Amino acid sequence: MKLAKRPASYLLLVTILVACAACSAKSVPVHIEFSASWAGQPVQCDDTPLALTDLRFYVSEVLVIDSSGAEHPVSLTPDERWQQQNIALIDLENGAGACSNGTSDMNSAIRGTVTTSDFAGIRFTIGVPFEMNHANPLLAQPPLDDAAMHWHWRSGYKFLRAGISSPNDSFWIHLGSTGCEGTIQNITGCSSPNRVTIELSDFSADGGRVALDLAELSRGIDLQDGTGSDCSSSPAESECAAPFERLGLTIDGVTNLQPQKVFQVQR
Amino acid sequence: MKYFVAIVGVGVVVAIAIFASQGATYDWRLPSTYPEPQVPAHNPMSDTKVELGRWLFYDTRLSGNNTMSCATCHIQALAFTDGKNRSVGSTGTVHPRNSMSLVNTAYASRLTWANPSLDRLEDQALTPLLGDNPVEMGMGGHEAEIAALLASDEKYRRLAEASFPSDENPNSVLNVVRSIAAFVRSIVSFDSPYDRYLAGDFTALSPAAERGLELFFSEELECFHCHGGFNFTDSSTHANSTVDQVGFHNTGLYNLNASGAYPEDNTGLFDMTGQVRDMGRFKAPSLRNISLTAPYMHDGSIATLDAVIDHYARGGRLIADGSNAGDGRLSPFKSEFVDGFDLSKSERADLIEFLASLTDNSVLTNERWTDPFER
Repeated sequence: MKLAKRPASYLLLVTILVACAACSAKSVPVHIEFSASWAGQPVQCDDTPLALTDLRFYVSEVLVIDSSGAEHPVSLTPDERWQQQNIALIDLENGAGACSNGTSDMNSAIRGTVTTSDFAGIRFTIGVPFEMNHANPLLAQPPLDDAAMHWHWRSGYKFLRAGISSPNDSFWIHLGSTGCEGTIQNITGCSSPNRVTIELSDFSADGGRVALDLAELSRGIDLQDGTGSDCSSSPAESECAAPFERLGLTIDGVTNLQPQKVFQVQR
Repeated sequence: MKYFVAIVGVGVVVAIAIFASQGATYDWRLPSTYPEPQVPAHNPMSDTKVELGRWLFYDTRLSGNNTMSCATCHIQALAFTDGKNRSVGSTGTVHPRNSMSLVNTAYASRLTWANPSLDRLEDQALTPLLGDNPVEMGMGGHEAEIAALLASDEKYRRLAEASFPSDENPNSVLNVVRSIAAFVRSIVSFDSPYDRYLAGDFTALSPAAERGLELFFSEELECFHCHGGFNFTDSSTHANSTVDQVGFHNTGLYNLNASGAYPEDNTGLFDMTGQVRDMGRFKAPSLRNISLTAPYMHDGSIATLDAVIDHYARGGRLIADGSNAGDGRLSPFKSEFVDGFDLSKSERADLIEFLASLTDNSVLTNERWTDPFER
């Protein structure tokens, strides 16, 4: 009722309503399905000889790129568990078999809307935006309330946790920002943000399918020598070099220099 | 009679709640010459909260397989360390690091061995509770059970309501870590022979310990540059301090491939910052109760204080063979204060006697910090 005292507010409200009526008229659903693969074939937690051991990641800043190259932000549809407006958690492990440290809940798709029907490609970030990444995880809303995705001693989230095992060997990676300055809950910046920008062309966003290929992610890592390989996003770890390169990241995590190889459009 | 007891009981809870809401009234039981620690504004101290934290600290239900509590790696009789080279988590995973003493962590400007961002016990508690690399207590994915523990236990429910009187639902993971942090923060100790000596009791130190004190604070040995101040570490702070005092040092423990490298699972500050100059830099731990907290160093790789003095006297450790071979004395990253020194046999004994005078025996038995389940 305070509005009645401010005629200008009415005008503003009407303007917003008109604007949104126009935009909602062109609102198109977006549904992007993610899957786990090994050299192009599906891979799951109870497969042999190669089994998925983990695959969970945050997707944020989703854009549709139209045929003229213009960008259209996708507004994710908030729910109680997997999505806020600008960030979603994809969980492709089911807690069974080799994924016994995971959860039975799964979420394979992001769902939202965009104001174009001209889908030439998509772009998204694997990562949590800086301002959300360093807030108190115990006060966060879903999907940022998942303790398994938080990296307490690195004072931010694990953007991606992925792993694969063979009968006598394994590889896993936890990707997240490192080299962060300041104190927890007062982080001022990170020398290696390690957010990965993925751009995929030739894409139909209403029924798009994207595979994360673990053979590409672990290329160059011997999964038979029995030594076990892991990468916790530290430049100190030699085993981070290969997966970082496959993700298109330089080891300092600042730039996406090379084209990434890990995420692929599936037909 | 029953009703009377119940009414009195409610009255006590209400009184405690009112007391708890006035956090400023907490009594640290400190000698007047020592400052109070810093306390985060969102987690004021109260006796009730410390008591809740004490139960939780010793409660094995806070591990995924109910086998360990915080106290498993922080044993009161060992000044809240565990006596192991490296601690072992609830599922058997060996931690890369040696368990640190919790005595006077309330005064630590940074927590753990080498984390430049970690300055609050409330945040630190999340890593052992929920972390999965390595698994320590293994509660990751069981957060709902942590909150349910507070709600399901009558005593915990009562203490939580009294400790967090303004919370609509005090049974949360946040309040579990706040309570444990308050308990750990309460473990303050300034009653060693050295403290009594400083307070004017000149009989508190033996002549040998007095001589050791002179050596400790000498420019020749340089110990005090990193292990200085009221808490014998340069990473100390308190309620009245205005500077953010933090120090990380490479003491020449390793020099792999003559490149200055440390073993890959324990590179110290370098692991956090990625800056080459930070290779092998670790926080200087407090030396309070150091006689009780063997083995030493971030990885427990030195068994005795005598051998620690060998390491510093040599100006860096020589590892002749094996995968960690290298001469730490020649490390390009070594602290300028680790220069080496000569010490006679009797001087060495004096120094060790001085270090023993930093032990506050009351910490080891103080009933405010003992296991409440064993009463």
